[in-house]
Amino acid sequence: MPPAFVEFLQFLLSGITSGAIYALVGLGFALIYNASHVINFAQGEFVMLGGMLTWALTSAGLDLPLAIGGAVAITVLVGMALEKLAIEPARDANVVTLIIITIGAGIFLRGVVSVTLGKDFHPLPSFSGDDPISILGATIMPQSLWVLGVSALVVIALQGFFSYTLLGKSILATSHNRMAAKLMGINVGFVLVLSFGLSALLGAMAGILIAPITATNFEVGIILGLKGFAAAILGGLGNGLGAIVGGLTLGIIESLGAGYVSSDYKDAIAFVVILAVLFFMPSGLFGRRGTERV
Amino acid sequence: MSLLRVENLGIQFGGVRAIQSLDFVINPGTIHSIIGPNGAGKTTLFNIITGIYAPTAGDIYLDNVPITGRRPHELARMGMSRTFQNLQIMKTMTAIENVMVGRHLHLNRNLLSCLLRLPSVTRGDRQARKRCVELMESVGLGAYIDAEAGSMPYGALKRLEIARALAAEPKLLLLDEPAAGLNAAETKEIDEVIVKVARSGVTVVLVEHDMKLVMGISDHILVLDYGRKLAEGTPDEVRANPAVVAAYLGNVGNVGTVGTMGTVS
Amino acid sequence: MAHNVRPSGYSKFAKKQTYTRRMSTRKSRAQMLLSERGGGMASLLLVILVLPLFLANDYHYDVAVNIGINAIVVVGLNLLIGYAGQISLGHAGFFGLGAYTSAVLTAHYGLHGLLALPIGALGVGVLAYAIARPVLRLSGHYLAMATLGVGLIINIIISREAWLTGGPDGMYVPLLEVFGTEVYGGPMWYWIVAATLLLAVWLSLNLIDSPVGRALRGLHGSEVAAQVAGVDTTRYKVMVFVISAVMAAVAGSLAAHFSEFVTPAKADFSHSILFVTMVVLGGMASTFGAVVGAAVLTLLPQFLADFADYEHVILGLIMMTVMIFMPKGLVPTLAALARRGARRTAR
Repeated sequence: MPPAFVEFLQFLLSGITSGAIYALVGLGFALIYNASHVINFAQGEFVMLGGMLTWALTSAGLDLPLAIGGAVAITVLVGMALEKLAIEPARDANVVTLIIITIGAGIFLRGVVSVTLGKDFHPLPSFSGDDPISILGATIMPQSLWVLGVSALVVIALQGFFSYTLLGKSILATSHNRMAAKLMGINVGFVLVLSFGLSALLGAMAGILIAPITATNFEVGIILGLKGFAAAILGGLGNGLGAIVGGLTLGIIESLGAGYVSSDYKDAIAFVVILAVLFFMPSGLFGRRGTERV
Repeated sequence: MSLLRVENLGIQFGGVRAIQSLDFVINPGTIHSIIGPNGAGKTTLFNIITGIYAPTAGDIYLDNVPITGRRPHELARMGMSRTFQNLQIMKTMTAIENVMVGRHLHLNRNLLSCLLRLPSVTRGDRQARKRCVELMESVGLGAYIDAEAGSMPYGALKRLEIARALAAEPKLLLLDEPAAGLNAAETKEIDEVIVKVARSGVTVVLVEHDMKLVMGISDHILVLDYGRKLAEGTPDEVRANPAVVAAYLGNVGNVGTVGTMGTVS
Repeated sequence: MAHNVRPSGYSKFAKKQTYTRRMSTRKSRAQMLLSERGGGMASLLLVILVLPLFLANDYHYDVAVNIGINAIVVVGLNLLIGYAGQISLGHAGFFGLGAYTSAVLTAHYGLHGLLALPIGALGVGVLAYAIARPVLRLSGHYLAMATLGVGLIINIIISREAWLTGGPDGMYVPLLEVFGTEVYGGPMWYWIVAATLLLAVWLSLNLIDSPVGRALRGLHGSEVAAQVAGVDTTRYKVMVFVISAVMAAVAGSLAAHFSEFVTPAKADFSHSILFVTMVVLGGMASTFGAVVGAAVLTLLPQFLADFADYEHVILGLIMMTVMIFMPKGLVPTLAALARRGARRTAR
């Protein structure tokens, strides 16, 4: 293989790995947005909780799989509680107010974790060792394969959930038309709690998968949340496929930008590209281009 | 000399032709109604004329000046104003502030003057307020001058839309279903307002379902069906047109329409 | 608040009474304007004049000056968010750009601070104008994303170009000199910032009660209705975006000279979020709400500092609680309560 190609492949692989994480976080944004029209800026905190709780439970002596299960379960409960205690009581507030509530929730969760689990960075062990695997001359860590594999499984499971289960369909129905869903006997309140729970699940998975690669601390959610939001917007807000494509695109741009242009400016490059896309496609890559009805 | 001329107009949404090969002329100083079944393209036509949608075919002329594709605010400057079927009220503002937004083009809009609150701004606002109060009273909104728009009843908001549109002192006023959702007494009041406006020299274009209102006040009627012109002429001509009767009466399921047509003759 | 004349109860009266009723509403409106504009300005002036009596030490002055600086930004941001209904999650970028323009021009190029400040404001104004057109075509969350991106890019550039800005460590800023005297210490800064804040509030109040302000509020209420009334909505959005960016830049310049030191944190995302939170917490579409929001969220961390590690836990809880129970923000909610109370006693 020519070295230039190997180099490119290397950047691509690492871009896809972080892109998969952004996609999971972006899917969480899309899920909540669809069900409730809230942009949940505490989404990054779900990611942080997944990683930090897994670390805390393993250091308490639990096996990794058990710790992962526990961390995911707790994060899901936190997500549901967030909807029930903070979003539902403010149902009639306008969008910006709801955003501020989720930002407050994010600050609160970061505060609680920093008080209880400390402010240090903690690595998680890789799920299956640290021996790099060679692909066409480029190397990939086993953990990256975990990231890609689990992300793909999660997406497929989610697709199945929405297509084949009554619960999934009722979430879809609520996102299309809340009033009609209510009239059809769907328990909209429960659907909203559920969508926050599901979204927390996606976030926690992302946080756990990435922790062995980047380590985790109480503040990792801020930047991962931003990237997830960017992925969701890039793909077209509320579009699941869009969030996945948006996340992968963002990851790849970052990685290529860091590799070929400037690693100092990798985030800036990514955001310049997002701005450029929005300039030509104001509703993102897959967003609905609706004409306003008047 | 026509005030508004529409030639071969068409618009597509996706594959749907909402309006196709439409021609008509509106003469100054008349009340011109556009009628047709739901989905005939009446509001779409309004949205094209006022620059909210860009047509995919055809041309529009205002005073013989081509205006196809111009933005709504440019058209407002050229003397066009309108109301909306789905009310577009600025709910966080007071009623009179809504009307004063309608007067925007007649006021001192220089940023620096406004920031420094120069006397020219306050004087202009004072005069505008006086004028808007008169206008609101003339459409029967005297009791709502400083009311919060968001807390006003539906019938009053319909009139507020008209007052706001009139505040611009337009040459051409487009009213999108001004009587929809109103009871008989309110409809009669709106009817009087429209006639009063037309008498003052403003050309009125009306989209309306209330046949009694339409037949009573229109000088000219255009009938749309599936985005095409079905017929046009004076109220008497339209009423006698077999195609119109077929379109309205042929639809047996639509008892309501039959009823309203029935009240006409 | 200007909107307390309710139509209910009036509507049953005959038309004859319209005239007298109008006179009475006009009078009450004049009174309301007095309380909103004149009264509000007078109260703010009073607070500013009396406050130094309670400022016992440098730390107190420090907090007071920071409240003033934040309030200038938030009054401007409220024009954009509260009145025109356009969100920005990147205004700290403009604040930081103002701060760094002053810092770099005075420290590296020996420019006079009073010259650097308007250059920063102008530069930010031009930049804001250049990005506003494409960005403000977007709506809602897409606009949030774009402004966030702009803020992040500014912050990244400031952090990375260390040769100019000192990078993440920040840089020193020379003292500001006015009429040959160096501005130094709490009391002097207090009066400078207070005067600037009063000016900002006055301009903001003027603007919202003018044809331009009504156009801005109108496009918030219904963009399409404003357009058909002749409002070039894009132009107005760009205008208010530029105004708010320039106010942020001016505040940034003052902040740089005041603290004699700037870091990229001035321009970061959480600082942008803080400004937006101040707008919303104080009360959207309320100029005095903006000042109150800035005061509360600047003071709160000072009080919470006693709780050490629990600071953020409590801050987050307070933010959530206030927004859940007062979704319209502190000032509009309290004003409505006061009005209701007044009406009850009147009866």
